[in-house]
Amino acid sequence: MAKLDVTKLRDQNSKSKKTVNDQIATTAEWFDDRLGLAKGTRIFFNKIFPDHWSFMLGEIALYSFVVLLVTGIFLTLYYVPSASLMIYHGSYAPLRGTVVSAAYNSTVNLSLHVRFGLLVRQMHHWAADIFLGAIAVHMCRVFFTGAFRKPRELNWIVGVTLLILGIVEGFLGYSLPDDLISGTGLRIMFSVTESIPIVGTHLAFWIFGGNYPGDGSIIPRMFIAHVLLIPALLAALIGVHLALLVKQKHTQFPGPGKTEKNVVGTPMWPGFMFKTQGFMFLVVGVIALLGAFAQINPIWQYGQYLPYKVSYAVQPDWYMGWLDGALRIMPSWEFQYHSFIIPNQFFPSILLPGIAFNIFIIWPFIEAKIKKDKSEHNLLERPRDNPMRTAIGAGALTFFFMLFAASATDVLANYLTISLNIVLWFFRIATYIIPFLVAAIAYRVCIELQRAGDGAGKRKRFNVVWRSDTGEYFTEKSPARSDDVDYLDGEPEESLELTPEVSKMVNEKADLIASDRNGSQESTDSDPEDLQQISRD
Amino acid sequence: MNLKNAPIKSVVLVVAVIALSLLYSLMANGGNGALKNVKNVSAVGATTPSPTSNVSLVGSTNKPVSPGSETNNNKAGGQKFVGSLLYQNSGVRATYQQVRQGQTLFDESCSSCHGAYASGTDRAPNLVGLGPATIQFWVSTGRMPLSNPIIQPIRKPVKFTQAQILDIVSFVASQAPGGVLIPNIKGVNSATLAEGASLFDINCAGCHTITGAGDALASGAYAPSLHQATPEQVAEAIRTGPANMPRFNPGVLTNAQVNSLVKYVTQGIQHPDNAGGWNLGGVGPVAEGFIGLLIGVGLLVLAAFWVGDRK
Repeated sequence: MAKLDVTKLRDQNSKSKKTVNDQIATTAEWFDDRLGLAKGTRIFFNKIFPDHWSFMLGEIALYSFVVLLVTGIFLTLYYVPSASLMIYHGSYAPLRGTVVSAAYNSTVNLSLHVRFGLLVRQMHHWAADIFLGAIAVHMCRVFFTGAFRKPRELNWIVGVTLLILGIVEGFLGYSLPDDLISGTGLRIMFSVTESIPIVGTHLAFWIFGGNYPGDGSIIPRMFIAHVLLIPALLAALIGVHLALLVKQKHTQFPGPGKTEKNVVGTPMWPGFMFKTQGFMFLVVGVIALLGAFAQINPIWQYGQYLPYKVSYAVQPDWYMGWLDGALRIMPSWEFQYHSFIIPNQFFPSILLPGIAFNIFIIWPFIEAKIKKDKSEHNLLERPRDNPMRTAIGAGALTFFFMLFAASATDVLANYLTISLNIVLWFFRIATYIIPFLVAAIAYRVCIELQRAGDGAGKRKRFNVVWRSDTGEYFTEKSPARSDDVDYLDGEPEESLELTPEVSKMVNEKADLIASDRNGSQESTDSDPEDLQQISRD
Repeated sequence: MNLKNAPIKSVVLVVAVIALSLLYSLMANGGNGALKNVKNVSAVGATTPSPTSNVSLVGSTNKPVSPGSETNNNKAGGQKFVGSLLYQNSGVRATYQQVRQGQTLFDESCSSCHGAYASGTDRAPNLVGLGPATIQFWVSTGRMPLSNPIIQPIRKPVKFTQAQILDIVSFVASQAPGGVLIPNIKGVNSATLAEGASLFDINCAGCHTITGAGDALASGAYAPSLHQATPEQVAEAIRTGPANMPRFNPGVLTNAQVNSLVKYVTQGIQHPDNAGGWNLGGVGPVAEGFIGLLIGVGLLVLAAFWVGDRK
């Protein structure tokens, strides 16, 4: 069919000049003859994607991953993954003549000497923060709308795996420059690895090549994991994530014409393709702006890491913050049984994330089991439709947020001029109380929203209370306006039929109030005694 | 810890610590606890006299200066007036005029707590023998005079001119020999920045943070920001150890090392190479995380809301 059209076009134009369209058609035909792409492309171009802004949150992560790949390739051209020591001879005066590692030296040089070096490095770092932030936001969308339910449990697991890999990748990335802050993070990671019962010490010594800081092999090892191993896994899993999305089709919110069996939305070509490409440019634009104007991780100010150097106010990047917070608020308990000891760090930094990620992974199955729900779901739920899930999600999110905030105990104490000890004890207690409060409030709000129906948030109508000449009180609803809905059943309200007498009095009173507001004291001929009050319900 | 009783013990622990911290904060905010604290802390930096201890009034040791009504500026009690040494490695001594004016200023602004001759009261510590550097640091950073005795006074607008501060210093120094002289920082220009940076990393960053932004320490104490300190104040703080700060004697840091530190703080820390844009307050990844999430992810969520369907 397509072939026929092209032939005809070519015949028609053989006498006149060839247009651009003809050239495209000829090229496409050449490829189609050899590869047979037309059929697949047609299916792909006609693929329907449901339109909702919240479905685009995952794309922020996708496109920041693209930025990470491109900027990361640039950085590998200048970064030297080596812990060998050398004298710094660069332009930054406070470091000149001091002994630094090749890794640190190359990172400072690529920041201060290489053209575009600092911009690309800052874009890479901001893109990493945004990548994981977007994953978190996307995960919340999927969770609160129930998009993980059958048949999409596998894709949920792939997504959680992407989150875990992303966190590890980010940690390795900001540990590579070998500056003061990254070294402090590695020191903590060494202790955390050591705290794993039985195998901990062996594992830590194996990874670092000896007792901390090891024989320097940690830097090339982290480098190869950061630029090859984990990115390859991430790219492959992102591929699987998208392939499953295409195969299983996207979920959609319930609405007119939308059912469990169909997909209503924009086709891939031209609508969705242009929208998503435009969105890619927005993502790249925001990352580029941050990279250009907001400083991130100025490692030349921090100096080379040496194990005996330490700075205060050192935190990990935000996605590791909740683990750091958990470490900070953990009381100094240790559990000993004869000669076996479980060190303190094991609970907040191995057990807590272990339990958390395992619950994330099996959550779709837990929910299906509780609800005894084995059916397929292609229509999404609004958060209010499933109050228990929303409450659990809100509580969990609050718990992680509290841990995250606890990683800034010192900064909070300093900025709010409160004693550090009080801040610490606040988090030790509030981290376990506030999530339950938030969960209870979220549950209550869901129930209220359900009851309110579609009229939630809409204006309620005035009640008019009036008194007759004989002293009786009556309550009437005020006349409906065009967009008023009944907040109990969500139906559009019809104008109430008032008796001409009441209607006249209401209007007169309204005029009176209006004239009062305008400051003009012109009297009206209505008798104010007749109407005692006009008030909001 | 025995695992079996852990929950009960932890509850007891939590209650006990809340009670203790409440009690402590009560003591710290009012009452005498805080005052004792100030007294002890300030006294730490002052007990050892400097090797170059100065001489106050010749022939009137242990007697407070009472300039009286004499018109001759070079005489006190009919004797030749020899003022205290003020500066390290310099023969500059306080003049009689300075001591007299200093006493007036001290009477007005300091004596209600520190006593008429700086010997301390139950409200504030004894200043006699603390040395010129200590007095100049506390007054020139605006921390003194203090309106309300708190755990750790904060930096405020300075109440006196440079000359008036020196007057007060001269008066207090005239009361007794000893203490730390105002450090000589003439060598700062020839000091090396890199040595200062590396000394700062080892000795200072642990509390003041690597960018000198300052941070909270335990129990309401804090390490202040270094971004407003003058070269002289940095050297004075190193030598005298104000409040919670440890004191670094010449045996710990040589004069040349102090000069490099002064150079790094007043150049590297106060005017850092902020390539890369707005430095977000120099507090590291906490601020970066908030910007990344609120502005980065926030803007992009708004962008999604803009291009996406909003039904």
